[in-house]
Amino acid sequence: MTSIENMKTSTVPEGGALEAPRRTLFQENWNQFKRNRLAMSGLVIFVIFFIIAAAGLLLTSGTDPIFDPALVRLQEKLRPPLSAPNFETLKPEEVPRFGIYLFGTDDLGRDVFSRMLQGAWVSLTVGFVAVGIAVVIGVMLGGIAGYYGNKRILNLISVDGLIVGLIDIMLCFPSFFLILTVVALLPASIYNIMIVIGLTSWMGAARFVRAEFLSLREQDFVTAARALGLSDLWIIFRHMVPNAMAPVLVSATIGIAGAILTEAALSFLGFGVPPPHATWGNILSNGKDFLFDAPWLTFIPGFAVLIVVLAFNLFGEGLRDVLNPKLRERH
Amino acid sequence: MLAFIGRSAIRKLITLFFVSVISFLIIHLAPGEPSQIDPLNPKFTQEVLERFRKEFHLDRPLYMQYLYFYRDLLTGKSLSWKDNRPVLEKIFERFLNSLPLFILGTLITWTLSFPVGIPAAIRRGSLYDRSTTFLAYLLISIPGFFFAYMLIIFVVTRFHVPVIGMETFGISSKGWHFLMDRLWHLLIPSVLGAAGGIAVLSRYVRNQMLEVESQDYVRTAKAKGLPADEVHYKHALRNALLPFVTMFGLVLPGLIGGSVIIESIFSWPGMGRMAYEAILARDYPVILTVNFISAILVLIGTFISDLLYMVVDPRIRL
Amino acid sequence: MRRILTWVPILFILFLVQSYFWVPTYEEQTRGNPERLTEYIEASIGDAQILNPILSADSASSTIESRVFEGLIDRDEDLKFRGRLATHWEIFEEAYFYVNDEAWIPNFGKADSKAIIQLLRDAIQGRESRDGPVSQSLANIEDIEALPARSFEVSKEERGTGGATVSLTVRVTAPPRIRLHLREVDQELFDHLSTVLGKEYFSSFDGKRFIEVSPEALSSKKAKYAREFLPATEHNPVIVFHLRPNVKFHDGHVFDAEDVRFTYEAIMNPKNLSPRISDYEPVKAVEILDPLTIRIVYKRLYSPALGTWAMGILPAHLLNAEVLREEGERRGMDPEKFSLRQSQFSRRPIGCGPFRFREWKTDQYILLDRFEDYWEGPPNYERYTFRIVPDLLTQEMEFYAGTVDSYGVQPHQVERLGRDPNYQNFTGLAFGYTYIAYNMRREPFTDRRVRQALGMAIDVDKIIRYVLYNQGERITGPFVKQTDFYNHAIETLPYDPEGALELLAEAGWKKGPDGWLEKDGERLRFTLITNQGNNIRQAILSIAQDSWRKIGIDVRTDVLEWAVFIQERVNKFDFDALILGWAMGIEPDLYQIWHSSQTRPNQLNFVAFQDQEADDLIIKIRQEYNHERQVRYAHRLHEIIAKEQPYTFLYVSKWTAILDRRIVIKEVDSEGEVSYSRIKPTKTGNYGFHFNKWIKLPEIPRFEMEG
Repeated sequence: MTSIENMKTSTVPEGGALEAPRRTLFQENWNQFKRNRLAMSGLVIFVIFFIIAAAGLLLTSGTDPIFDPALVRLQEKLRPPLSAPNFETLKPEEVPRFGIYLFGTDDLGRDVFSRMLQGAWVSLTVGFVAVGIAVVIGVMLGGIAGYYGNKRILNLISVDGLIVGLIDIMLCFPSFFLILTVVALLPASIYNIMIVIGLTSWMGAARFVRAEFLSLREQDFVTAARALGLSDLWIIFRHMVPNAMAPVLVSATIGIAGAILTEAALSFLGFGVPPPHATWGNILSNGKDFLFDAPWLTFIPGFAVLIVVLAFNLFGEGLRDVLNPKLRERH
Repeated sequence: MLAFIGRSAIRKLITLFFVSVISFLIIHLAPGEPSQIDPLNPKFTQEVLERFRKEFHLDRPLYMQYLYFYRDLLTGKSLSWKDNRPVLEKIFERFLNSLPLFILGTLITWTLSFPVGIPAAIRRGSLYDRSTTFLAYLLISIPGFFFAYMLIIFVVTRFHVPVIGMETFGISSKGWHFLMDRLWHLLIPSVLGAAGGIAVLSRYVRNQMLEVESQDYVRTAKAKGLPADEVHYKHALRNALLPFVTMFGLVLPGLIGGSVIIESIFSWPGMGRMAYEAILARDYPVILTVNFISAILVLIGTFISDLLYMVVDPRIRL
Repeated sequence: MRRILTWVPILFILFLVQSYFWVPTYEEQTRGNPERLTEYIEASIGDAQILNPILSADSASSTIESRVFEGLIDRDEDLKFRGRLATHWEIFEEAYFYVNDEAWIPNFGKADSKAIIQLLRDAIQGRESRDGPVSQSLANIEDIEALPARSFEVSKEERGTGGATVSLTVRVTAPPRIRLHLREVDQELFDHLSTVLGKEYFSSFDGKRFIEVSPEALSSKKAKYAREFLPATEHNPVIVFHLRPNVKFHDGHVFDAEDVRFTYEAIMNPKNLSPRISDYEPVKAVEILDPLTIRIVYKRLYSPALGTWAMGILPAHLLNAEVLREEGERRGMDPEKFSLRQSQFSRRPIGCGPFRFREWKTDQYILLDRFEDYWEGPPNYERYTFRIVPDLLTQEMEFYAGTVDSYGVQPHQVERLGRDPNYQNFTGLAFGYTYIAYNMRREPFTDRRVRQALGMAIDVDKIIRYVLYNQGERITGPFVKQTDFYNHAIETLPYDPEGALELLAEAGWKKGPDGWLEKDGERLRFTLITNQGNNIRQAILSIAQDSWRKIGIDVRTDVLEWAVFIQERVNKFDFDALILGWAMGIEPDLYQIWHSSQTRPNQLNFVAFQDQEADDLIIKIRQEYNHERQVRYAHRLHEIIAKEQPYTFLYVSKWTAILDRRIVIKEVDSEGEVSYSRIKPTKTGNYGFHFNKWIKLPEIPRFEMEG
């Protein structure tokens, strides 16, 4: 397949020698990616999830949200999915939207559908912010180590040595144990959890970027840029970072999946995102106490987490395949 | 070679020092005090609390606490604040419990990943490849405790056999029965523990194989008309295996690891749970010792893996 | 190679899976296993920490200790004290006062010790002419004797002006003293005696006159030493225990008074860091009168004292200083620092309780065997097993399977299991309550009306019905509901949001244009906090927030990790309102939680409740040995606290327990006739009271008088 298309592209240009190839790198990659059905379905779910999360943010926030995730109706607790509320015991403002509990209610009579909607956004935020922190730190430190590696501080140790040392130190900590220690000892808050996950998972990105920078630094276009007198910052951000981002992007995608799972695991131990924020992780871990009485409280968030995390992973895997030229199919 | 070992050892000692300082600081600068000093217990007078603090050196400056702690640790004298047992004895006891889980989990991971990953690479894009890819990612995408509960409920309601604990409770069996009973109780938690490992490793095997398969010498071998099996399993695999040899070193830190969640669900008295309970009780000696040992194992692990790398790949001279 | 890679994993997996065929099924483990009937298995989420009754502070440890150790006394079905290792006991008092030779006694003048004794004897003779209470106090005096004057020297260390310690000598020349033997403890004795000896007789006694301090420079400390060495009056309650003869420890050694004294000394030994030290601090002396009689003298009135002797007694012969030193040396530890805390005894305890220790596998199980020589006869169960299953869901599954007999059952499970004919369930009130506390240092909680209104806005009955599944009862004050001390005449706060709004309006909080309550343009706004890890408290948090929001109060909530919650917020008073619970003892001593002296950082009166009458009552209760009078004071105290509403008292939760219906009480009477009966909780709700008589039958028994 590829070879035929490649032939086409090479035969088409006739207009002039200076015309750029019709297919950009992006298009090339995109075509490659499209053919990976698993990755594509991952991407589709990823996009749907993103839309749901954004919708969740809109529909569940504000003083009078359309779906109120915090409304407690004790007399309506543990209703199965798709059951109709008992209108007699509810005040008009307490009746759920559409007059039905789509996903049932939890042990306090809160509407699980609303909570899932709200949780989608919170879970996504936890994942993105945590990974965002990790990527920023990773790229910065990796970049500095790769680019300024030979500089020395106080004639004692090279910048590269310092950063590699820091990476080594961080790798010595068992990450979940470290996260747990910090989360357990610090006041519970959603910010702490995001920051801690971020601070304990930047090492991979830093290593990728450092390795990439070390090789890029010696390449002609960088030497040329330097010869032109361009500033270091310009060279780094305009020329080098984009070239080094591919593996970081892949690990970030998979990292978000990991962060969502980490949050769920912390919730299981009682150290997850504290209320009033609902996350899929804490809905799931609260629900498991009622496994025999209200299985939907476990299965709905359980499968939701499973599907979304799977989508992220498959999407990440697809990206990796596409972005890693060594693994391109050649026949 | 010797120079490399020397330099490496010094580097690792320095790293270890910083790890010990950082972990010490994290724990001591966090708000809150050990639960042994429970301020809400009406029976504890201020005087008793002070005495506890003194006993635990909490009244000394931080650097002195640091010195006291690591002096005790290195002389093997540190005691758990929770139950006054020697920390090393506690850890060793848990280590023995976690060890079988670790061994079986590792065995399952390593024996299954290769047969899963290799054919996927050989028949890239086939149904087999796609379904193993999907399965592998499925395994690492399930929240661990959700998966565990599903499995337990399935086995218990289907087969009516106990799966909780290290052995069937209350029945003392002997010999072969005993061994098999232990093995059965090991099986489910270690499969759960290995699930993520299989997924990651089999992916890695697949990618490694793909990379080697695209090398010229493999293509040459194919072109020569060698039987496919021989090409894949002899020429390609042998070279693809190289990086895995070095991974043996990286398995080492798993010795002191152990999943809190799986151990809690399966009532397994392992390392993870002990560490978790130590965190809850702010049993600083236990937390710090576990951390310290695990750092040592990580460092030894990377050291071994560096060495193995040198041994298997003669091009590398460090 | 390919074949190896295919077959090795397949064979390996097959080998692993075939282990299934060797595993006993649940059926074989429970019904198919006759031994299972003679064993009681209790599931717990956490392991014990240290099996030594004087050192442990966790509930898992005390569960085991209550089976292995035995105290001198315990509480019977009606929560009254009954003898265990002690057969019976007497409580009386020795009261002292110094002869105040400068005081002017009405109608008499100054008096020396002889004259005082004569005066008192005369008063006792002629007591009929005096007030009722005074005459009772006089009638209570059994004997009077004079103690001669004496002098002694004590060396002390003081912190001098520069912060350096200065040692000094205190020379005391004590005047003669009078000792009164009382039949019963009498906290009002000296008040009543002052009607005989004059109002000022005791208060005007100046101890400083009899004290010399050298060097002279430090004589400013005289007053302090006078209080210490020469208190004008002193109450010394005395308890004499008569011990049960021929009681054996599990190692066969016979129990005697020496063990009791040893246990006391071990608690007081600072090396052991016992958390119970404050219980025994009021003890002045423990004297062995004979091997089966021990006399405990207290420094001051302290009525909870008797209850402290329910503490498990340690075997002196296994733990005395020499044995400990040997153990320390054997294990290569510093013998100077080696204490009971490090001793292996806490890992394999020996007591004289109904079960003897057999094995402890950390975080797996603790096994106890019945003690055949137990003084009350051995229990029916041959074994008691404490099994650690940290996950509640797996506990539940094990319970269904029959591999544990009791577990931490959750309210919503009780509802379902209660309908199952295979199980019997028990329920009773717990010894603790949950409350919302208001920080009375802060506005608007300084106003009683606001506190009351906040309480009235919450529908507690609804919380009990839906959050607790009716596993709770309302409570109005700080005493244990099933004791006499609880004042049942006090009505619960009604659920009345309208009334709450009226009260708030009285206090100046009116609805503003945006619907929130306001006062002087300031919105009624505060933060309600609780600790992490307690789902019920978190549910109440949401409900309280919701209810208060409905009447226009802007409440924010926060859930904090336990240590942070306690140390950063509660202990430093950095909170507006919080949800917490107290576990109570049966003793009606409220000093630490409600006395106004306990409001400093790290003390338990963190809401800063202050009330003069309440303070007086708290002290009186503490010093009163007479049950009826204690009850009277407690009822009044309860009333004051309920009126002031420093807390919104929410509920006392009920404990629930589910047991297999096959577990019954088996009794053998003197003729060897065996009878079975159903397990019934005692009046105070203790279903495990007759645990030693329990046994499990192969089939569910049918009782004639079912119902």
